[in-house]
Amino acid sequence: MMLKVSDLHVYYGAIHAVKGISLEVNEGEIVTLIGANGAGKSTVLQTISGLLRPRTGSITFLDDDITALVPHKRVERGLAQVPEGRRIFLSLTVAENLEMGAYTQRGADTSVGMERAFTLFPRLKERRKQVAGTLSGGEQQMLAMGRALMSSPKLLMLDEPSMGLAPILVEQIFSNIVDMNADGTTILLVEQNAQMALSIAGRAYVLETGQIVMQGEAAELSDNEQVKRAYLGG
Amino acid sequence: MAFLSHLISGVSLGSIYAIIALGYTMVYGIAKMLNFAHGDVIMVGAYSCFFMVSRYELPAVVGVVVAMVVCTILGVTIERLAYRPLRQAPALAVLITAIGVSYFLQNSALLLWTSNPKVFPSIVGNGSLKLFDGQLSISYTALLTVVTCIIIMMALTWFTSKTRMGKAMRAVSEDKGAAQLMGINVNATISMVFAIGSALAAIAGILLCSAYPTLSPTTGSMPGIKAFTAAVFGGIGSIPGAMIGGILLGVIEIFGKAYISTQLSDAIVFLVLIVVLLVRPTGLLGKSVQEKV
Ligand SMILES: Nc1ncnc2c1ncn2[C@@H]1O[C@H](COP(=O)(O)OP(=O)(O)O)[C@@H](O)[C@H]1O
Ligand SMILES: [Mg+2]
Repeated sequence: MMLKVSDLHVYYGAIHAVKGISLEVNEGEIVTLIGANGAGKSTVLQTISGLLRPRTGSITFLDDDITALVPHKRVERGLAQVPEGRRIFLSLTVAENLEMGAYTQRGADTSVGMERAFTLFPRLKERRKQVAGTLSGGEQQMLAMGRALMSSPKLLMLDEPSMGLAPILVEQIFSNIVDMNADGTTILLVEQNAQMALSIAGRAYVLETGQIVMQGEAAELSDNEQVKRAYLGG
Repeated sequence: MAFLSHLISGVSLGSIYAIIALGYTMVYGIAKMLNFAHGDVIMVGAYSCFFMVSRYELPAVVGVVVAMVVCTILGVTIERLAYRPLRQAPALAVLITAIGVSYFLQNSALLLWTSNPKVFPSIVGNGSLKLFDGQLSISYTALLTVVTCIIIMMALTWFTSKTRMGKAMRAVSEDKGAAQLMGINVNATISMVFAIGSALAAIAGILLCSAYPTLSPTTGSMPGIKAFTAAVFGGIGSIPGAMIGGILLGVIEIFGKAYISTQLSDAIVFLVLIVVLLVRPTGLLGKSVQEKV
């Protein structure tokens, strides 16, 4: 098993945002975590990355307990995240953003990773000398994904990659995720766009106010009446 | 010729402000705090050099290196002990802590070295370069100051734009959380910035005392405040801004002294600052914060 989260509780001061979540991701899978705005999806991802500390519960990655590990060491072990809102470095160039993604690859040649990112996202290659703040929303999302790939992660977590993008770009971003998975990267995908997420995922967890209320095969969940009503618009 | 001579003095004083201002601005850029103890680190650097050169009669180079090492360790230690525990604290708590550290350093210096001023010999002697049949003389100290400032500027530009650590510094300055997700050790990066800023403070202290040779525990405070002003003037957080702000401030100060009034020169400096900030609240080169959705 690649990632195992057990009985995670996360607080923001007095706010109990994540109330005992357990989930698993196996090697090679695409697993999605869906749920309404405010359900606690980003909180879960940030805790797995180490930006937030859980009050109780544990996180195991590749058979090691990483609950207490500092964030940058988690990246070194192969855990990367494309955060919500992309958070690329707007004042750095496209190439510099990608270099930052390869920060843990000390001394290694970044050109191989960069070529891989450019193959996946040819638009980035044309714009590699441009300051990232001048990119369009879709290009920024591609850069955020390319940047996360630079560390050659074993597990890539994506937080609402389709947010704010036109439908045609959403299609493209999701097909990129499928490609990255085919290249051997395990994916944990957080989405509000449940329909799209369930269409590419193998398994899914449904989150509601900090708790997992349903889980199972993505195909079964898309046929589930309750899920249809709550998340698929009918 | 008097004008040229004042201009050179102004650029030379301004270069010292610029080197100090770099420390303020880089620390502000990455830690989003005003390190008011920075001026006192300058003083510690000057004392370190003074003891090596005047007391132990070691070569000036040794004095400079020792001062830089002492200040680097001091700056990193201050960050580690006083500021890092307050990383999530309100800005006001951090500011008050910084002022506290400043008093702590001044009073420790008072205890260790007394309030009696020391006469600091210029590390390049008191000679000067005579030009135009001796009508214009430029002290070696002023020359050294300007050259040092130019070298520092070029080195920092190279560092921030070309090196892995320098780019990481810019990334951390922009978004600490995202930088952590890249695998950047944010604490180590902040320590590095304090180290660079403090090493520069040591250089500034030595150049300052070489030009104005009295050294006392409060030597760093006024230049510290002026350099802070220079950093704000140029746009706090901006490295070229600190350079331009520092040099302009030095020139304004010396011209104010020469042509308007010796007593009012500081008031003129701050007046210019207020006017600039009214017209451009982010300083000369300050970035207006913009976010893209
Ligand atoms: N920085 C924060 N401070 C306080 N509460 C927060 C913070 N971030 C998120 N929350 C709260 O935690 C809950 C979960 O938020 P989040 O994980 O962002 O949800 P999601 O990603 O599913 O939209 C929400 O109720 C939200 O208001
Ligand atoms: Mg979210």
